[in-house]
Amino acid sequence: MSTASQATVDRRRSTSEIERSTPAWRRRLTSDRAARVAALLSFLLVWVLLSLLFRRVPGPVEVVQRLGEEFARGEVFGNFGSTLYRFGIGVALATVVGIAIGVLMGLSSLSRAFFESPVLVALSIPAIIWAFLTVMWFGFGDLSPIVTTFLTSVPFVVVNVAQGVRGVSRDLRDMSSTYHVPVSRQVRDLVLPAVAGYIAAGVRFAIIIGWNGVLLAEWFGGGGGVGYRARWWYDANRFGGFAAWVVLFVGFIVLLDRFVLDRAIRRAFRWRDS
Amino acid sequence: MTEQLVGAATAAPPADRDGREAGARRTAQLRRWRRRGLLVLGWLAMLLLWEFGSWWYGSRLLPRPHEVFLKAVEIVESGNFVTDFSASVLKTFAGFAVAAAVGAPVGYLMGRYDYWRAFFHDGVTIAGTIPAIVYAVMSLIVFGLSNLGPILAVALVSAPYIALNVAEGIRGVDRSLVTMSEAFGRTPRQIRREVLIPTIVPFVFAAIRMCFAVAWKVEALTEVFGGRNGVGFQIRTEYQLYDIGAVLAWMFLFIAFMLVIERLVLFRAEARLLAWRPEERGTAL
Repeated sequence: MSTASQATVDRRRSTSEIERSTPAWRRRLTSDRAARVAALLSFLLVWVLLSLLFRRVPGPVEVVQRLGEEFARGEVFGNFGSTLYRFGIGVALATVVGIAIGVLMGLSSLSRAFFESPVLVALSIPAIIWAFLTVMWFGFGDLSPIVTTFLTSVPFVVVNVAQGVRGVSRDLRDMSSTYHVPVSRQVRDLVLPAVAGYIAAGVRFAIIIGWNGVLLAEWFGGGGGVGYRARWWYDANRFGGFAAWVVLFVGFIVLLDRFVLDRAIRRAFRWRDS
Repeated sequence: MTEQLVGAATAAPPADRDGREAGARRTAQLRRWRRRGLLVLGWLAMLLLWEFGSWWYGSRLLPRPHEVFLKAVEIVESGNFVTDFSASVLKTFAGFAVAAAVGAPVGYLMGRYDYWRAFFHDGVTIAGTIPAIVYAVMSLIVFGLSNLGPILAVALVSAPYIALNVAEGIRGVDRSLVTMSEAFGRTPRQIRREVLIPTIVPFVFAAIRMCFAVAWKVEALTEVFGGRNGVGFQIRTEYQLYDIGAVLAWMFLFIAFMLVIERLVLFRAEARLLAWRPEERGTAL
């Protein structure tokens, strides 16, 4: 592409010409799949290098070993189950409450004024504070992770839903209020379908934020669960076990995000994209 | 992302007669007053809820608002506020610097070449979904109890945001500008400096503004796990002493500080850096 200081510009080759002149091996090496494989390999390489550089960082082999041991001990499914249970209840509550408040905020500017500052404050409170407070209030049971998950994720649902509702066509809303369509029907037939995508996006965000909340509450209020088990290894100064749990958990989150949430969001936004 | 909630400005409809205009102005004013009243009501409701909670749980488990306020004043007066907050802020911005140094080139590659886009895409999106606690503990494992831990955690959390935003920005660069510069024989270096970089600065800033809140929380979290100074360290100390009032007081200082930095410092800096392109202000936010 260097055309600097030439009297006549080179004739540009068309993309198909360039395509044809690249050899097959090169095309395969620069394909998307090759790039992904290369990314994975370089990630592993960096990991191994880090584990060689820092004595405290466990290498991939050790982590896989620990993971196998953890499965053999039967610690995985019980802890995972209790974390999922707490997390599920917390996020479900956050979704319901968040949608209710978000719809209210989106529909009338007065309720927006009322909820504005509470939401702002709730957005800025870090999850660790909720974890500390709920552990001190509710002790070491299921309640503190549930409440922490709920409180950390609800403002994100509210903000997303409110934004979506405000985007609902003003004309349609004015028309339905002119023709005295009852509010319940307005919400059901006009608002909810239009904001389904925003709800899905808000719930996805709430889930990402909520994992942090549930793990923190379990870490500090150890009543079983992934966070508790990870802390157990961390306190024992055996970071291989900790890393094994991280790999397990992050793998789970990524699979959930990729195969469930992403599809749900694409489905919900289908009407808009088509 | 809270800006969208604010600003339901009620524009008075154009009126051809004075009487109608005055009436419209009156209703607009009434609405504004009602809005302001409800804003105050929102704060009052929060306070009431808090008061009720502390009555319900007893003031040992949830101290009353004015007790927490007095605690906060005490903290500010004792001087801990300045030292710990400046330590935390310095670490946060150091983390941002590292994140921008790593994330911006990655984003540049992702925006410019398909190969690198495929290479980094999965990693960057996965890095964005990992919970903050993982980053916090990981940086502790790598660096132990030192100031480098929080810096690494902030960098790890914000680098994916910056990379994604920069990639978005690069892809949004006006193709015809690049083609024109090539046609006029500009060197690739000149194109980078004069076309690409000015276009991505707003995106880097948007990313920093977007993830400042997240980064600030992660920084404090890392300090909770293993800091030797800073806000998180203080919160952890008070938690271990079971002093809920002090935990809440630190939290309120933390929130106030975050809002001030977000609204005043970052907003101003962005406005200043982007002053040369006034029409872009709206979209960059």
